[in-house]
Amino acid sequence: MFKYEKKLEYPVNITKKNLEMAKYILTGLGGSAGELAAATRYYIQSFSMPDERGKALLIDIATEELAHVEIISTMFRQLVKDATPEELKSYNLGDYYTEHGKGVYPVNASGMPFTATYIQSTGNPVVDLAEDMAAEEKARASYESLIDLTDNPEILNPLLFLRQREVVHYNRFKELYEDYKNKYKL
Amino acid sequence: MLFDNGFDVDLYMKNISNLKNNDYLYNNDNSNKIVSDKIGLQKGNMFKDEYLSYKGISPDIIEAKTEKDALMLKIYETCFAITDLGLYLDLHPNDSYMYEVYQNYVSNFEKCKDMFEKNYGPINNTFVDSSNYEWIKNPWPWDKDGGTKYV
Repeated sequence: MFKYEKKLEYPVNITKKNLEMAKYILTGLGGSAGELAAATRYYIQSFSMPDERGKALLIDIATEELAHVEIISTMFRQLVKDATPEELKSYNLGDYYTEHGKGVYPVNASGMPFTATYIQSTGNPVVDLAEDMAAEEKARASYESLIDLTDNPEILNPLLFLRQREVVHYNRFKELYEDYKNKYKL
Repeated sequence: MLFDNGFDVDLYMKNISNLKNNDYLYNNDNSNKIVSDKIGLQKGNMFKDEYLSYKGISPDIIEAKTEKDALMLKIYETCFAITDLGLYLDLHPNDSYMYEVYQNYVSNFEKCKDMFEKNYGPINNTFVDSSNYEWIKNPWPWDKDGGTKYV
C-alpha cells in the first residue's frame, strides 16, 4: 500500500501566474511521456518483474513518479492562480476551462486527454524495461522543450530537477535491462 | 533557535553540514562518488558521474528563509538522498558503504521529521502527539505555504 507524506519531493513556489507555461506544462502530467503515465506504467509492470531487484526498482520508481505528478499539478495550480476566464481564453485555455475549470486534469500540451495506450505492460520484463528506457528519454526531451520555453527560475528549477530524475531513472532501467537480457535471454 | 522541547535546530543543522568533514563515512574512497544531500536535492542527483546538465543551466541553490523552512528543507534534502540512494541500492543491495550512507540519511531524516511534527504538525498521519487530530490542517503541500515557500 501507499502512505502519504505531507510534503513535495522538490519545493515549488511560483509567485506569478503564467498561462502560456500552464498550458504547456500539462503535458508533464497527462502527455504520453508524462508523470501519470510513468507512475502507472512502472506500478503495473512491477507485478511481472522476475527477481527482487526488479520488483524493488519498479515499485520505488513508480512511487517517486507519483511525487512528480504532485509537483506538476502544484506547478499548474500556481501558474493559473488568479487568472480570469477571459485571460484563460486568450491563452487558448478556454476549452480546458470549459471542461475542467482550473482543476487539474491530465491532458497534453495540445489538450488531448490522457489514455491508457500511453502505458504498456507486456508481461516480459526485458521488453517492459526497453519501453521504460524509451519513456524516460521521451520525458527528458519533453522537459528540455519546456525549459527552452521559459527563463523564469521559479519554473525552471523544478523542471531541471524533474529532467535530471529522468536521466537517473533511465540509467537504473538500463542497468537492469542489460542484466536481465543476459540472465533470462528473453 | 531553541525549540520548546530543547532541540537546538541551529546546532543540529551545523552538525549536519559538518558531517562531510567529521563523519568517517565521508573519508571512504567511495565518498567521492556522491555529493551532499543539499547539492543532491538542488541538482536532482546524489551521484557525481550521473549529473547531466542541460545547456549549462544550473539550478539555483535552495535557501530557507525561516527556521521552520530550514527544518523542512532538511527533511526535503535527507528524504531526497534516501530516494536516490534507495534506487541505487535496489540494484546493488550488497554495497555496504552506500548502505551505511543510506542508514545515516534515514536516521537524520527521522530526527528532522520528528522535530518538525512536534513543533509544526504531522507529516505522516501516524503522528499523534497532540490532543487534536491535526492531520487535516492547512497548509497542504500544493498550497502557497505548504512547506515549500523557501525557494
